[in-house]
Amino acid sequence: MNMRKLLLLAIILRLFVSGLLFHPDIKTIAFQTSFLRSGVTDIYTFLLESKASLPLKEEFVYFPLTYFTIGGYQALIAPILGNNFNNWLIDAGANSVVNNPHVIKYLLFLKMPLLFMDILIAFLLLNYFKKREDGEKAFTLWLFNPFTIILIYAFSNIDIYAVLLTVIAFLYIKREKLLTASVFLGLAIAFKLYPLLFVPFLFLKAKDIKEKVLSVVIPISIFLFTIIPFWSKSFVDSALLSGLSTRIFTPNFTIGSGESIIIPMFAITILFFSTWLDGKEIKLFNCFIVLLLIMFSFSHYHISWLLWISPFLTILIVKRPKLMWLVAIWALLAVLIPLFYSDRSMTISLFRIYSTWYDLLPTPFVVTQKFYDPLGVQSLIHSVLAGLSVVIGYKILKNEE
Amino acid sequence: MKNNIIIFTTCLIAFLLFVLPILMIIPIKMVPSGDQPGYGDMGRVSVYGLREFKQIFVSTDKNLVAIGTTIKNPNLKNKKNILFNLYDEKGSLIRTTILNGFNIGDGDFVKIIFEPIIDSKDKKYYFTLSSPTAGEEEIIELFLIKPTNEVLEYTYDEETKFGGIPMVTYHKSGSIIEKIKRVYFNLILKL
Repeated sequence: MNMRKLLLLAIILRLFVSGLLFHPDIKTIAFQTSFLRSGVTDIYTFLLESKASLPLKEEFVYFPLTYFTIGGYQALIAPILGNNFNNWLIDAGANSVVNNPHVIKYLLFLKMPLLFMDILIAFLLLNYFKKREDGEKAFTLWLFNPFTIILIYAFSNIDIYAVLLTVIAFLYIKREKLLTASVFLGLAIAFKLYPLLFVPFLFLKAKDIKEKVLSVVIPISIFLFTIIPFWSKSFVDSALLSGLSTRIFTPNFTIGSGESIIIPMFAITILFFSTWLDGKEIKLFNCFIVLLLIMFSFSHYHISWLLWISPFLTILIVKRPKLMWLVAIWALLAVLIPLFYSDRSMTISLFRIYSTWYDLLPTPFVVTQKFYDPLGVQSLIHSVLAGLSVVIGYKILKNEE
Repeated sequence: MKNNIIIFTTCLIAFLLFVLPILMIIPIKMVPSGDQPGYGDMGRVSVYGLREFKQIFVSTDKNLVAIGTTIKNPNLKNKKNILFNLYDEKGSLIRTTILNGFNIGDGDFVKIIFEPIIDSKDKKYYFTLSSPTAGEEEIIELFLIKPTNEVLEYTYDEETKFGGIPMVTYHKSGSIIEKIKRVYFNLILKL
């Protein structure tokens, strides 16, 4: 199959998933970002102050750049979608939202930027490798693995903005253009906090003091530049220190008197200093992927976070085909864990566009409860995932090609 | 390898979108007549002792098999029997179900299931809900709403008014083919 046909098939698959699977987050985010059209710039304070009169009460948990990007796109498409679209956005009815006769059209339009970013990542991966054949493998693997399709389109994953910018940053790192990379990393952090963890490794990679200082100052300055105008208690509570942002710091073991060791920080510190003292040339690809493996091993992650590691795993499989099955098992387990969360929108509710009859079905969590403790099953799978992460991490660091 | 991945992923996504929804229909034994109406704007009534609640409603479909509504069990104090009696329009008792407050959380959506009534389409019925052995401290509460095409009128404390509880009727689902047709017809309407 030639590249054009491949791309066409990939787009068709994505459009089907976009239109037919529904996660409520896309509706909530679309409602919240619709206020940009009415001139609201500080969404955090606005939502807090208008909570009583709004049909949806959730806080906006993303950063300002996400608000302006999605809100800006929505300002472009809203006139095409007409007044019914606005009525759908303010509709708080769990059933009427999915029973709206235009819902598939709305979902397709709202998920269109995700498709654009997704295809862009595929082309970046195509050009990542020196050998054209390897690039084509990565291109195919990115477009035709069920994980990314589901992660992006079923869960309406807006983390893709940060993922795309991180991939661009990584391409510049590969070309030894660290300062340009740090600009893109800064932009990525302005969408999502996780690329901030890459910055210390960028510092290690930098050649001289000037580059080291700039590789830290640039991303942090860009991030601060995008958030400081919106700094308020509501911003800090809902976005900066939201449960999702701080979840990585939760897993710990106590060492007495209220003190504890935060496991992911502990592991990341080991990675940082061992990389520093290693004496060999620093391979940021290895550091980034191991860092993400640590995060997923030791935190109760949201399913959409798995997209962060997906481009890196794609590159890894092409670079090290022997690890393919190990990575495939890792991905399968990683996707499986959130499906056992006590949250209908992780599984059954995704199909509510088809029919609300599925509300009558129990979730995997409830079904498991009949036989065994579902949290126990989750813990079991997560432990296997952590063990597998250690093996993959070891294989990556041991053989630094 | 490339071709295998393409075929695998295409088949998996096709399975997810077109086969899994069909498989998920199979275990659904009863389907609701519609969505539960919103509630909370017409107050609540307490059921305990001799304070019984009577509701007249229309079954909009055949094979009536359950009634679902939201029941409050404040502080989970009611652990007594809750009697549900279903009557036809002439007042003949046709079904009885006994629930227990022990199994009802505060604000739970409760489905009261009984033997199917085959020819129930467009027929009027009424039911009573009572908890005769419950004291004043062991009430269960029902929300009230304005009348709908299903919920007609209710009687409480010897007063009859239009409206009733935010209930939804359930009907024994037809054959698998019929269910698949209904789900996909519903989907096609949104295209």
